[in-house]
Amino acid sequence: MTEIIRRIYHISLRELRIMRQNPIYGFCTVIFPIVIILFFTSLMNSGQPIEMPVGVVDQDQTQTSRAMIRRLDAFQTSHVVGHYANMNEARKAIQRNEIYAFLLIPKGTTSGLMTDTQPRISFYYSNVTLVAGNLLNRDLKTVAALGSAAVGATKLSAIGKTGQEVSTFLQPIVVNLHMINNPWANYNVYLSTAMVPGVLMIFIFLLTPYTIGTEIKFHRSRQWIKMAGGNVYVALTGKLLPQTVLFLSMMFGFSYYIFYVLGFPHPGGIVPIILLNILSVLACQGFGIFAFGLMPSLRMSISVCSLWSVLSFTLSGATYPLFSMDSFIQSVAQLFPLRHFYMIYQMCIFNGFPLTNAWFNFMALALFIILPFFTIPNIRKAMLVYVYIP
Amino acid sequence: MSTSHNMENDSLLYRIKQGINDTCYIWAKELRSTVTDEGVLIFCILVPLLYPLLYSWAYNNEVVREVPVAIVDKSHSTASREFIRNVDASPDTRVAYYCNSLEEAQGLTAKQQVNGTIYFPADFNKLLNRGEQATVNVYTDMSLMLTYKAIYQTTQAVSAGMNSKIQITLGGGMTNREDEVVTQPLAFEEIPIFNTTGGYGNAILPGVLMLILQQTLLLGIGLAAGTARENNRYQDLVPISKHYNGIFRIVLGKSLSYFMLYAIMGAYLALVVPHMFNYISLVSAETILGLLLPYILSCIFFGMTLSCLVRYRENVMLLVVFTSVPFLFLTGISWPQSNIPGFWQGIASLIPSTFGIRGFLRISSMGASLSDIRVEYQALWIQVFVYFITACLVYRYQINTTRKRAFNQMQMVKEKAIAAKAKKLQEYEAKSVSQSNTENATN
Repeated sequence: MTEIIRRIYHISLRELRIMRQNPIYGFCTVIFPIVIILFFTSLMNSGQPIEMPVGVVDQDQTQTSRAMIRRLDAFQTSHVVGHYANMNEARKAIQRNEIYAFLLIPKGTTSGLMTDTQPRISFYYSNVTLVAGNLLNRDLKTVAALGSAAVGATKLSAIGKTGQEVSTFLQPIVVNLHMINNPWANYNVYLSTAMVPGVLMIFIFLLTPYTIGTEIKFHRSRQWIKMAGGNVYVALTGKLLPQTVLFLSMMFGFSYYIFYVLGFPHPGGIVPIILLNILSVLACQGFGIFAFGLMPSLRMSISVCSLWSVLSFTLSGATYPLFSMDSFIQSVAQLFPLRHFYMIYQMCIFNGFPLTNAWFNFMALALFIILPFFTIPNIRKAMLVYVYIP
Repeated sequence: MSTSHNMENDSLLYRIKQGINDTCYIWAKELRSTVTDEGVLIFCILVPLLYPLLYSWAYNNEVVREVPVAIVDKSHSTASREFIRNVDASPDTRVAYYCNSLEEAQGLTAKQQVNGTIYFPADFNKLLNRGEQATVNVYTDMSLMLTYKAIYQTTQAVSAGMNSKIQITLGGGMTNREDEVVTQPLAFEEIPIFNTTGGYGNAILPGVLMLILQQTLLLGIGLAAGTARENNRYQDLVPISKHYNGIFRIVLGKSLSYFMLYAIMGAYLALVVPHMFNYISLVSAETILGLLLPYILSCIFFGMTLSCLVRYRENVMLLVVFTSVPFLFLTGISWPQSNIPGFWQGIASLIPSTFGIRGFLRISSMGASLSDIRVEYQALWIQVFVYFITACLVYRYQINTTRKRAFNQMQMVKEKAIAAKAKKLQEYEAKSVSQSNTENATN
């Protein structure tokens, strides 16, 4: 036993030497992950997009219409940047990327309000940037509703209704919305928690076959297996241990940063965070070893891993829900570790439900960890026999 | 005789002819390598052909429909049941479970059976009939923005519909029209002007398609460069050959072969894929040519510039693959462009895909004209120009190092030869001396 530990220790030392000589390791295990963490968290730092540019087409030019425009400008989400003479010009401004939406107040709106002829205002918004479209739609709708309500309220209080009666009349049923655990609809909480681990997983996915495959490429594989006394399990453990430690510290560092520095909601507590980080790093390494064992060619395995890891962003269902995709894709998605990461994250950490609810996803990650055992004999053969062909 | 030959060699016409010859040679060689090199074949041909189909398939349903919600109805009244019926009848939501308590509904959320809960308090109907404000509590799971949006918007719409009905009965107007005016003195309509269905695929896919174009080019060019280096005895990017005798020949020859391939891929991604999956495509021949030409060229020169950084071919993948996600976010396709911090805007302007995707989204989803995307279009041409120069510079550097090494190598061989000759001479002399010595001795 001590013999095995000694061998693992020496192989790990050898791996550290290799990692020091080839700068790509430092970039992929430390520098790029930190850049990615800072990129996503700083990009969406404001939580929700604020002060998005909108335009107005005010053909009415009255006090009432200007009050409406001021109210629109006062919203946190929108910022009135342009006044256009007609609808066509405003449409062109959207096409030029100057504004995301505009409010059209036609001539006669105020006089129509005075004479009870139900004038009509409209707002046009572009859904090409979905987040902007959705948020502005909500704001513009509120402006219109408030405009409508203001008129009604004035009228009702003029005929002697009390404040409570007025609000009851204007809105008999109130929808009281509870946005559980993310009451700000904070996009940083929503997106960074899935995107950053996804990118970190790309590095694990790629670096695992890379580090095994380069042994053949640089004609070190026989020496490596010899150091392990011919035991390929010892060889792989020693080789991947330094990377496991580095990737785990990146994942834990990220968790610490978002949950304890930025204060993202995590009612599930620390146990699922630790468990999930360990499982997902090991699962990705397992997948990498498995892929290399299946195709013991550096080029093929790393290509497959890269295609797999990029697809997982879509198939994780973190942005567009999986249940809205075709049923075939729904089953294929289970083959991607990021899918299970996202499910466990949202069930056990973000929503704080008991771990048993995510048993299927835990099992799946565990399965990824034992996958290599099916192909490890292949790796041994490859290390001793194969020759790298550029 | 020899002077006239030299003159012919130096004449401009001859050099141009030679240059075109060499360019074509490099072009053909590079083109052949895209098929013979397995990695380049995968990333430059198979991925651009097949990956978009997968993405299109995944996003083809576009919008989220029938999001399951749980109902906790403590009121058991006509009003609450009407609300529930309307929620169930809405296209975006469906009533999946009826629960007796919020805890039960929470259990269903934990099991991922529902994405939200609607709770009617016991006094819901009583308050309504008494003429007071009644509350409906809506609880949404925030782990998916699209399901949250579906539940939120549906309950808003249902309550607004029921509200106006109640207002009509309370208002007591003379005519129907008067009722309408009383409930809504100011009418408004919301009109989605572009991407009218609010489809997720329509919003994301154009960006993904353009990004695939850039990323596969970066990978392909990098892999080809890596292979060239590894096949070279001195790990040089540029082989020693009479054809590789000039920066422009190499840069033009190589870029021509990629441009040829990607003219086809670009047309496939920008026209065929959206057509196959019925995505919005408002492009015209003028806009698509006007945008794709500088976009592909800037991607090629950008890739060629970066390819000089690559020592081993597999490193390309480690360097390029992970950038796909940040590059996509930098374009403002998800998080709006107006809210990207200035520092990242600066980084974004270095990357061709930033302008390629922004421009393509607008010509394809909004029917913008070339003058509408002038900023993007000009930025892309600037990038073409700048990256062309940097590509030439890095290749110049490569050629110089190759030449220097070749020269040193030759010098070394020469020196060795001279040394060997001298040694031989010495030996010979020594031998002859000793021979003469022995001869002398015998004599």
